[in-house]
Amino acid sequence: MEKKEKEIKQGIKLHLIKTDLFKTDMMSVILTTPLTRENVTKNALIVSMLRRGTANLKTQVEISKKLENLYGAGFECGVDKYGDNQLLRFYIDSINDQFAFDQNEEILKNALTILLEIVCNPLLENGKFKKEYLDVEKENLARIIESKIDDKDLYAYENCISNMYGDQGFGLYKYGYLEDLEAINVDNLTEHYHNLIQNSKLDIFVSGNFDESKVEKIVCENENIQKLKPRIENYVLNNEMTEDKPKVENVKEVIEQTDVVQGKLVMGLDVASKCEKVQFKAMLYNILLGSSANSLLFQNVREKASLAYSIKSVYVKQKANIFIRAGIEIANFEKAVDLIKKQLEMMKNGEFSDADLVAAKEYVKAGINAIETEQDTGIIYYIGQEISKTNTTLDDYRKNIDAVTKQDIIEIANNAQLNTIYFLKN
Amino acid sequence: MQIIENNKIQEKVYTKKLQNGLTVMVIPKKTQKKYIIWGVKYGSIDFHFAIDGNEITVPDGIAHYMEHKLFEQSNGTNSLDVLTSIGVNANAYTTNNHTAYLFEDSNDKFFDALPEYMNYIQNPYFTDENVEKERGIIEQEIMMYDDYPDWKIYMNAMKAMYHNNPINIDVAGTKETIAEITKEKLQDAYHSFYRPENMVIVICGDFEPEKIVQEIAGKVTLQNLEQKVQRLYPEEPDEIVQPRIEAEMNITRPLFMIGYKDSVACENQIKKELAIDVIFNLLIGDSSTLYQDLYEQELLQSQPTLIYENSDTYSHLLIQGQSQKYDEVITKINEAIETLKQTGIKQEEFDRMKKKLYGEYVKSYNDAESIATSFLQNYFRKINPLDYFEEFDGITKEYTMQILKEVFDPQKQIVSIVKSKQ
Repeated sequence: MEKKEKEIKQGIKLHLIKTDLFKTDMMSVILTTPLTRENVTKNALIVSMLRRGTANLKTQVEISKKLENLYGAGFECGVDKYGDNQLLRFYIDSINDQFAFDQNEEILKNALTILLEIVCNPLLENGKFKKEYLDVEKENLARIIESKIDDKDLYAYENCISNMYGDQGFGLYKYGYLEDLEAINVDNLTEHYHNLIQNSKLDIFVSGNFDESKVEKIVCENENIQKLKPRIENYVLNNEMTEDKPKVENVKEVIEQTDVVQGKLVMGLDVASKCEKVQFKAMLYNILLGSSANSLLFQNVREKASLAYSIKSVYVKQKANIFIRAGIEIANFEKAVDLIKKQLEMMKNGEFSDADLVAAKEYVKAGINAIETEQDTGIIYYIGQEISKTNTTLDDYRKNIDAVTKQDIIEIANNAQLNTIYFLKN
Repeated sequence: MQIIENNKIQEKVYTKKLQNGLTVMVIPKKTQKKYIIWGVKYGSIDFHFAIDGNEITVPDGIAHYMEHKLFEQSNGTNSLDVLTSIGVNANAYTTNNHTAYLFEDSNDKFFDALPEYMNYIQNPYFTDENVEKERGIIEQEIMMYDDYPDWKIYMNAMKAMYHNNPINIDVAGTKETIAEITKEKLQDAYHSFYRPENMVIVICGDFEPEKIVQEIAGKVTLQNLEQKVQRLYPEEPDEIVQPRIEAEMNITRPLFMIGYKDSVACENQIKKELAIDVIFNLLIGDSSTLYQDLYEQELLQSQPTLIYENSDTYSHLLIQGQSQKYDEVITKINEAIETLKQTGIKQEEFDRMKKKLYGEYVKSYNDAESIATSFLQNYFRKINPLDYFEEFDGITKEYTMQILKEVFDPQKQIVSIVKSKQ
């Protein structure tokens, strides 16, 4: 795998990931913009509007037929939360030209052209989004926002986050808010779109087996790209050093009720350490605590105490948080919380073996290798690097993981403080 | 060793049946990832069987319980932990008709992990204590599924379709049935089904096929039983149980599922599956008028999905979606099916759908895991996945129309709904 990048204009970058491991080419356009209560709902709506039609492919049916003829090239779009930023993502994956029935079909070129057209040249009538489309998409988005509660695990996780961060940045729901939908109309949404497309950080990724100069030429000569102006990137830089974690005096406990069979427990931790290379250490701490089958949580809460089937912890490096998530019997709430707290204490005391640490390192390294062996994981890794303004090569990444010691993990453990306990019960 | 090659997508599969009847398949792929999956033809539907004519019934959920317990070793270790320590990603799952044990390696630890992997699957260690310990964990797993509307709608669809076939029971069993599972019952089930002739191992990654097959063969210690084990499945009528089944859950977006009970016997399963895929796409795919209309009318927000499942004892297709006004959607889908039966398929649309499906099959050969899993699951259906590429040319509009009329039979249709609780 080879990774190259080229700044096309200020704030617009082309990333080429050349690899012969896949039968597909994957391309992606990603817009990065700060998460704000004012814009979060609008941004989610823009993603939905863009897939409805372009200046040249006026309906979804036309777009779909084009993609079907490109051997079922798959188009996907969505919004993501990345620290205090919202990412608007547009993807196409298509089979590599060598598998076409006719070698002159230029699947990659056609697919890339459609992708750029969808993002940069939407269907507008009298210079504005179509009202009929917007009405439908507002309804659709309302349903998506409402349905947050349908996945109880995710609902509990989101609620824990919003309890910790409130109504700003990382605390916001990536699809936005029902009460903000009403004020959105074709005028203010079109205006917002122009603002977004001309001012956001814009990254284009192409991963696959291709001639790099050819792809570069396709992108640089694309008229939709040529229309874009250089821009000063405006987004929030998050990394393990930017996040302030004041001492928690009282752990917040939030209990909510809804109709569930099983209780959903989420415990949010702050990683307050600012030591050098903290992200690699915290990553390993998280694995030892609750990410692998060897972890303390899996072993002691699930295997030994039989309190849960599903229990895991996740590290959100952009916000220096770790979230512990478990599905438990409602009556076992206190028992489970106590036992989990005990595992946090054990981490502080370094109650894990050297072999556990070695295994945790292998676990992370398997993940690093996936960056090369899974096409979408590769793109996700490099956009993460791009947004956090780091440039860790995969080799450096492995070396940094190897260098972490038991003492480092204990240091993280002693600076990992419980912030919020959230429980969803019946 | 048998070699099947497909030039269109440049893939080869090497198959060897070992002397004891265990089948090993190798799909070489030059990638850092190595994947191995060991399948046992033993799933939740196999709870009633006869050994040398003596009938035995074991509690529902035992195949799944076994999958959990197999990791336990006599030296006090758990193989999942051991494999994780070695640096590979190990897991297991149970379905209606098979159980599978697998691991994925991307750290060059494949051969370090292989002995442990081969050992634990072949050497169960069940004790009263370790069987007891698992009960609480599995209860939590069952309860987790109880909160999944997707699971509810599927299980209800099975209940509406099947009178007797055990696909209508939960893979994991219930709190009550798993309470009856004991060490002895697990041992009986293991000895009856964990036999080389019931097994297949599929490997994908950067391997020399001859060498890896030899390595595997040298580590197989299981023997076939001298007694004859016969799986006993109840007779299943062609008719459905009931046309409609409903449930209520605390969700905002109701779910609907349309199911067709299909006949198990089939001349060419692959062709049939391809034709069903084409029909589904024509009917309600991204570019269909029906989908666009339903979308514009705010009846659907996203495309419904198609699930086609079949084995020796069951066969059905399911269309699942989300809608506030599910009955309107179902009526429109039914109308569109009848219209398609009348008007037939346009050549341009047919060709476009075939092209789309071809691309999707090519894409499924991107990743060692999906390749190995597909070969394993299809092995139990007696299908070689590479044949899909060969059968493409064979499906015609006429054949597709024939399948449309045969399978999409209103008499065999069921509807399963999960409503929002008021």
